[in-house]
Amino acid sequence: MSNQEETLVQNVQDFGESEGKQSIERCLTFESGGLVMFLSTEYVTEIINDYPITPIPLVPSFIKGVINVRGRIFPALDIRLCMGMPQLEYTNKTCIIMLNIDSTVLGIVVDSVQKVMDIDLNQVHPIPIKRRQKLLDGMVTVEDGRVLMSFDYKALASGQYN
Amino acid sequence: MDNGMESMLDTYLYETNSLLDRLDEMLVADEETEDFSTDDVNEIFRIMHTIKGSSAMMEFGSLSTIAHRIEDLFFYIRDKGISSLAHEHRKELFNLMFRSEDQLRGEVAKVESGSPLSENIDEFTAEIEGFLAKISGNGDSSQDEASTAGASGQTAAEDDSALPDDPQAACFIHIFLEEGVGMENLRAYMIVNALKEVGADFRYYPANMDTDSGTCQTIIENGFFLAFDSQENTSMAEDILKTQNHIHSYEIVEPAAKETAQPEAEAPAALPEQPVSAPAAKEAPAPKQESGAAAPASHAPVKQSLISVNLSKLDSLVDIVGEIVITESMVTASPELSHLPRDSYDNFMQSARQLRKLTDDLQDISMSLRMVPISGVFQKMNRIVRDMKQKLNKDVRLTVIGENTEVDKTIIDSIQDPIMHIVRNSMDHGIEETAAERIAAGKDPQGELILSASHSSSEVVISISDDGYGMDAGKLLAKAREKGLLTKPESEYSQKEALGLIMLPGFSTNQTVTEYSGRGVGMDVVKKNIEAVGGTVSLTSELGVGTTITMSIPLTLAIVTGMKVTVGNSIFTIPISNIRQSFKVRNEEVVLDECGHEMVDRMGTFYPIIRLHRFYNLDTEITSIEDGILLWVEASDRSYCLFVDDLIDEQQVVVKSLPSFFNEFGLKNAGITGCTILGDGNISIILDILTLYMAAIETI
Repeated sequence: MSNQEETLVQNVQDFGESEGKQSIERCLTFESGGLVMFLSTEYVTEIINDYPITPIPLVPSFIKGVINVRGRIFPALDIRLCMGMPQLEYTNKTCIIMLNIDSTVLGIVVDSVQKVMDIDLNQVHPIPIKRRQKLLDGMVTVEDGRVLMSFDYKALASGQYN
Repeated sequence: MDNGMESMLDTYLYETNSLLDRLDEMLVADEETEDFSTDDVNEIFRIMHTIKGSSAMMEFGSLSTIAHRIEDLFFYIRDKGISSLAHEHRKELFNLMFRSEDQLRGEVAKVESGSPLSENIDEFTAEIEGFLAKISGNGDSSQDEASTAGASGQTAAEDDSALPDDPQAACFIHIFLEEGVGMENLRAYMIVNALKEVGADFRYYPANMDTDSGTCQTIIENGFFLAFDSQENTSMAEDILKTQNHIHSYEIVEPAAKETAQPEAEAPAALPEQPVSAPAAKEAPAPKQESGAAAPASHAPVKQSLISVNLSKLDSLVDIVGEIVITESMVTASPELSHLPRDSYDNFMQSARQLRKLTDDLQDISMSLRMVPISGVFQKMNRIVRDMKQKLNKDVRLTVIGENTEVDKTIIDSIQDPIMHIVRNSMDHGIEETAAERIAAGKDPQGELILSASHSSSEVVISISDDGYGMDAGKLLAKAREKGLLTKPESEYSQKEALGLIMLPGFSTNQTVTEYSGRGVGMDVVKKNIEAVGGTVSLTSELGVGTTITMSIPLTLAIVTGMKVTVGNSIFTIPISNIRQSFKVRNEEVVLDECGHEMVDRMGTFYPIIRLHRFYNLDTEITSIEDGILLWVEASDRSYCLFVDDLIDEQQVVVKSLPSFFNEFGLKNAGITGCTILGDGNISIILDILTLYMAAIETI
């Protein structure tokens, strides 16, 4: 009984803390179509580059096709095309970030990967523009003054977006 | 609750289903001879015992209760021997057992689907009990012991507290059963038996409780007695009694009490009986001992050469083996090898060949793991034929050929319903209504249904034929016209095409809906199911002679021998079994219709051309029909030509499904069934010739 009470108190404290100033999350930042985006490293399984993508017919153009990662086949999506931007020739900077979102594994093709940094999620604000596309779900200004966009991985995995 | 519980449930379901399958097999086989062998009786008893136990453990009350009743029934039969059963009782027993099996299966199905179990099974259990009462009652009257039993019942009734007259007894145990358990005499006898099995030396009263259902009432009212010669035996028995079910209470009665009781009881009426029953009791242990010894022996675990494995584990094994095979070819075909000096290269290739042989073996074995004999499916047909024979009152024999033919497990699951449907159709509509009709047609009065399975290269061919009415193409055509299913003038239908009409949706030749067939869903569903596993259905029939339905199904879905073709930068794999021919054409051979659709003549018939690059919007330099190559393909009854850039080669490929992410795009309906990883790590799309046709031609 007393144990339960203790955990309850603990929970309340935890809750209080998260309501407070900071909620630090390690995030991967990457660039695509001139935008710098970030995404929690929790969902990133690996980053690969220079990888052959096999196109699949009859699907929207932002789905580049499928890739073979160690014998398993996953879809690959181009973030640029997701945002309705023109296709760029893939270079040696072009990367595929493999994501595992609620056991949906997919790769996203981005122009380049930047770095891993800590981002305080409580500082992330909604984007103040009404948009039809929902690839991004927030923005944050980091220490060096740059503005990063929060990448909405859930919308991507659930396929709401196309 | 958690994984533990779930895997327990899996095991339970697997075990119970296999036991029921085994039961079914035995019942069908034994019904032929109208006799249970002793082994079978023992086995049914054991099956029911296991189901009862495991169901009780899983807390599936209804299953446990039904199994328990049947166990009781077979306990009796095992004890008395099947030969003690009158002929009409045997028939009834078989029917009862089949219905029990269905009832159990019904409950198991409920467990599987997670729906609540039946709560009211009293009626059914009462039926089993009623049957048991009937056969046990019958056994008595034939032995003419009823009168003595009645007498003993009376004597006991006259004096409640009367102890049986047994001067040697050092001690009595007086046992009362729970109220309303039913068949008290047999339950008491089972308790007696349990005691005997542990080797206790005792006598029991009423001594004829096992044979005389009349003692039932006595036991209900007065309980029954066990007489022991020594105290040790008594305490040993007491331990056993504690483990027995249905005992309401028991008390140990000292002989001192007996002495006082006896004079009071003044039971001279009981006296003449004792000599009769005492030898009977003495006699009894001998055969009992025998069956007691037999039971543990058959209980001993049969040495199992089979284990059950989760199908998903097998699937991943097959996947990995597929990868190994591909990786092996990647390594041995690596261009780096050409830099090796001659000697090392030869050495390498020697080892590589060894490796290839091993990986080939590995692949063969891992594929064979998924193969199961088709006998399980055929076995079920046995049962269906048996049931329908009785219901429809037709005399039909089922001949099974090639039941050991092995087929991939996933295919087995999907062909069961189609086969069942066809068998029902044949029984219901195929075979003549009466034997007289058959005799008039010059046939054997007994109808015949032949189920056969065999292997042919990469396919398993299953055929179901009957020697019944056969189909009348004219009638089929008339019916199709009535339903508006004809797509061209009646006179243009060939015999084969007319028969094929029966596989159209919404076509059912029977006017009335019966229990077994004719629910409006018919052969079209069969066809759809078979096509879903990549197979084809064909039908031949001759009026007055019979009908044969043949299903050809690929042996396995996991590995396909395919032809790799290029279109632009993409590589597609087309199952080799669909390809009839590949050829080049000149421009002038291609004929256009008014919309510009291309057609080409092959052996006197024109076939449409589907240009893959156009249908899938692929960039390719080869757009002139003369530069590329045409593949004449066929699936089910659709035949057409595919235009591709070039052929690469033929290869065995491991079929992988596309990531579920693609589900919403409906690629399956556009001819893309899956993909495979090629030797160089690239991915190739596997085409489904049938759905490609539907998407490309039928939607134009």
